[in-house]
Amino acid sequence: MTGLVYKEWKQNRWFILSMIPCGFAPLLALLLLREQITSVDNIALRIGGLIAGFLAAGALQLLVLRGDDRKLWGYWITATADGYNGFLRVKYEMIFGMIVLFLFSLQFVDMGYCAVAADMGSEDIGSISSIALLLGFMQILFRAIDIPFTYRFGSKKGSFIKLICIVILAILICAVLVLNVDNMDRITEMVRKVFNENNSSLILSFGLIVCLALYYLSYRITCRLYLKGVEQYDS
Amino acid sequence: MTAKKENAKRLGIYLLIVSLFVLLFFVCRKLMNESNTAFFTIYYCLFSFSPAIASLITRAVTKEGFRDMKLHLNFSGNLKWYLLAFGLPLIFFSARILLPIIVSGHSDWLSGFKFQNVLTSMFMLAALTAVQSIGLLGEELGWRGYMNQKTEPLFGTVGACLIGGIVWSLWHLPMDMAGWLDGECTFSDSMKMCGDRMLLLTCFGTFLMWLTKKTDSVFPAAMAHFMFNQSQGALGELLSQGGIPENVELGMIASVFEYATMISLVVVFIGLLLRENKRSPKTA
Repeated sequence: MTGLVYKEWKQNRWFILSMIPCGFAPLLALLLLREQITSVDNIALRIGGLIAGFLAAGALQLLVLRGDDRKLWGYWITATADGYNGFLRVKYEMIFGMIVLFLFSLQFVDMGYCAVAADMGSEDIGSISSIALLLGFMQILFRAIDIPFTYRFGSKKGSFIKLICIVILAILICAVLVLNVDNMDRITEMVRKVFNENNSSLILSFGLIVCLALYYLSYRITCRLYLKGVEQYDS
Repeated sequence: MTAKKENAKRLGIYLLIVSLFVLLFFVCRKLMNESNTAFFTIYYCLFSFSPAIASLITRAVTKEGFRDMKLHLNFSGNLKWYLLAFGLPLIFFSARILLPIIVSGHSDWLSGFKFQNVLTSMFMLAALTAVQSIGLLGEELGWRGYMNQKTEPLFGTVGACLIGGIVWSLWHLPMDMAGWLDGECTFSDSMKMCGDRMLLLTCFGTFLMWLTKKTDSVFPAAMAHFMFNQSQGALGELLSQGGIPENVELGMIASVFEYATMISLVVVFIGLLLRENKRSPKTA
């Protein structure tokens, strides 16, 4: 296992370390758009920067999956003592670690920004750390979807098939909404009932656990699909 | 140089670096008070990673190398110990805080402990543990991943637990003394806080040491440490939702449960550590 960790570090260390500058995105957004700043708080601008950092970090996390969709590599890793399960486990752990590193970097920068602002006399400045935490869990969910597609169909084909699946899903949701346009008030009421003040924190915390569970499930699915994917690589 | 002398030298260097960080904390206090936020945030982050930084510096200076840092997750076969790392601190603090309330007949104070609230707290703690407990590696990489490995051959298992707990709590001295230095409490109050922390951390340290040895990884200890910090807050939050009168004192019963839980923890895990030492093959 140590060998696989070493391989991932040597191959992807710049992508892993790039998670740290991604956490500086909210600060960068403030610096780039400093002329439009009206108050020290600027929560909207900081959240905008946070989302930009989130997208950049997501793209970089996907880049660590490139290069492994080779038939020769697939067969070779299957024949090693750790097998493809060990290889995929290290990959999943590494991507999880990247998300955590991104999150820490974001929270550290946000904490620093709030502290500097407090030193300047703006003590009621809003922190965006809790939004960052939610985005971090969303990132875990997105990677749980991305990774099986990449290993089953290869990096390029996988992202194309994933896109098609998302479009089909979006069309289906739209179709369901259009067909139920007459019942929209009832649906809205039902959603409001479920997400009321008493339930929202329970649903939110449950959602976070579901993201983690799906990430693990994604690992199990990828393990099952990997050899089927290897057969299709390089073709 | 014999292995014991080499160990003692490495431990000495490690402790020296850690104490320098503590000393620096006291020296920087004036600066922190002048700029109580930004500087404090930066130094506090650095300070919270000081045990890990000290272990890395010691490994580099003594040319010990960076093997055996116990940085593998070792999930296979150890999942139950990860679950224990999550659950035991929660059980420990529940017994320490909630049992005296129930036994003294004040169950009505626990009105905040509704099924939905408890479930929400549990889910939130589990989710946060998965993504944020890694931050505690800053401490665990040093205490459990390095210091305990050096103290155990020198002072034995019980000695390692004792010294480990004392050093770990002394590292918190800047926080304990902050009240006295800021003139918010008396010196004896600060000393009492330090003593209480020493007792608690020495007891809890035995569990963390056992966990690290059992799984050969510092991650479960980091997780348990995170839960140690967070479960107190989570229980406090649930308690605050109940109707507890202000300045309430439970007296003797609270002390009984406070010490009984700590003693049980120490007895169980020292016992387990000693039993595993007996079982492990002796090396020359």
